Amino acid sequence: MCIITVLLILISLMDGRRANELRKIKCKPSVLSQADGSAYIEQGNTKCLAAVYGPRETRQKAQLIHNKANINVEISLAPFSMPQERKKRSKSDRRLLEIASAVKQTFEPIIMTNLFARSQIDIYLQILQFDGGTIQICINAATLALIDAGIPMQEYVCACSAGCHENHTLLDLNNAEEMADTPELTVALLPMSGKLTLLQMDSRLHVDKLEPVMNLAALGCKEIYQTLDETVREYVKDLFQKSSPY
Amino acid sequence: MAPVLISALEADYILKGIDDNLRADGRGRLDYREVILETGLITQAHGSARCRLGEGTDVLVGVKVDIGTVDIDGTEEEVATVKAKRGRVVCNVECSPIASQQFAGRGADDINNELTQMMSRVLNGPQGGLNLEKLCIIPGKACWIVYIDALVLDYAGNIVDTMFMTTRAALFNTQVPKAIIHDLGDGEVEFDLSEDVEEWERIEGWEHVPISVTLNKIGSRHIVDATPLEELTTEAKLHVMVNRNGKICGIQKSGSGSIEHSLLSEMVQVHIFVI
Repeated sequence: MCIITVLLILISLMDGRRANELRKIKCKPSVLSQADGSAYIEQGNTKCLAAVYGPRETRQKAQLIHNKANINVEISLAPFSMPQERKKRSKSDRRLLEIASAVKQTFEPIIMTNLFARSQIDIYLQILQFDGGTIQICINAATLALIDAGIPMQEYVCACSAGCHENHTLLDLNNAEEMADTPELTVALLPMSGKLTLLQMDSRLHVDKLEPVMNLAALGCKEIYQTLDETVREYVKDLFQKSSPY
Repeated sequence: MAPVLISALEADYILKGIDDNLRADGRGRLDYREVILETGLITQAHGSARCRLGEGTDVLVGVKVDIGTVDIDGTEEEVATVKAKRGRVVCNVECSPIASQQFAGRGADDINNELTQMMSRVLNGPQGGLNLEKLCIIPGKACWIVYIDALVLDYAGNIVDTMFMTTRAALFNTQVPKAIIHDLGDGEVEFDLSEDVEEWERIEGWEHVPISVTLNKIGSRHIVDATPLEELTTEAKLHVMVNRNGKICGIQKSGSGSIEHSLLSEMVQVHIFVI
């Protein structure tokens, strides 16, 4: 019996969580001085910084779109971020490019790009520490940074992953759990309308299990939405207090 | 890299202010901004530190140690015998695009390279302070390689000084696993790594790691800890690395302008004063 199974029988994951519990989320908007919008998010041991620049004039003519804004996403991974030995990844690393394009596709329908014809919005993501769930943290960080930048969006986008291990459904997998070849489903949800904008699955999963795993992931997304929304409201309240003369 | 522009009037304002020893944020010529240092943030690295200078510049340094082979191929015998008994330090600096728009895409390549070279020149060698011989595990075969990765997260001027300060703090924070050497006889040696975290040791000589002070020449005066606007007005920069005994461990000039000889010695003197 492998260690994960044993742990699951005790209904607690390696970091002391229950199977349907999210990792601890810490988030803070507006952390950088140069960017138009920025955010820092920590989900368990995964840490990510996001910066948004724009909307502004397109730099490259080739990227210009006549009736809407072009969204550009770049992800970099700190060389010391991985739990194993140090590894330097170039910006053209395929895995990172794939995640970047997934993030781009997630946000394209949500950001009201038609308001900014012929312009460009840049989203830069920097992963400082990696412990599973790259796509989800990138999406959550980008949402918060876009809100901080004041870019009009239809609603929040929240992402969460869920998996399944020997009939137990698990929420928000960390790196060790991902490595154990657990089927993992990453979902990005629009929490108000309930629409899905991203769906990705690794490994294989029985078709009967898909429904409960999906439901769990959706629940996780809603929980993340609440945390993000609280943070934003708290931050705006703070801004009001600081700017009011009384 | 997209050129960042400054208007002639703005440049003049900065120049006149510096002549009167009063800068835009109320500092004098030789005043630093507030420094905030934190250590041990990245649990997956052997050592880490983050430094924030004022409300802007933010540098995160992660140190990872790894076992490597001694690289002595192609060197003369004399050099090789010295090298065989030493560990190595590998530096890498990356300016993240989240820090500033000018670092996006390939825009940061030049500056990354320049900063990486500057850091490895200072830290490799006797002036770097670290006792590289202590990093040797089995002479000629295995040694520790110390990877120092600096990440610039936010840019508001004076990256170089912040980078050196953070590196020093990260090296202070670094714990190297203890290697237990077994003698198998016949000159054969093997080693294991200790699992006990309490036996881990700091790298010897971290307290001698130099920090840098950058002087920016604007007009006929010079200032420390320039903001981005002041950096745009700067004709020439002088980075001077000094260790805690007041010894100069490296000097480097950068920027497009030139420095008069008399001003150079004055600038170096100022330096010691600032430290």
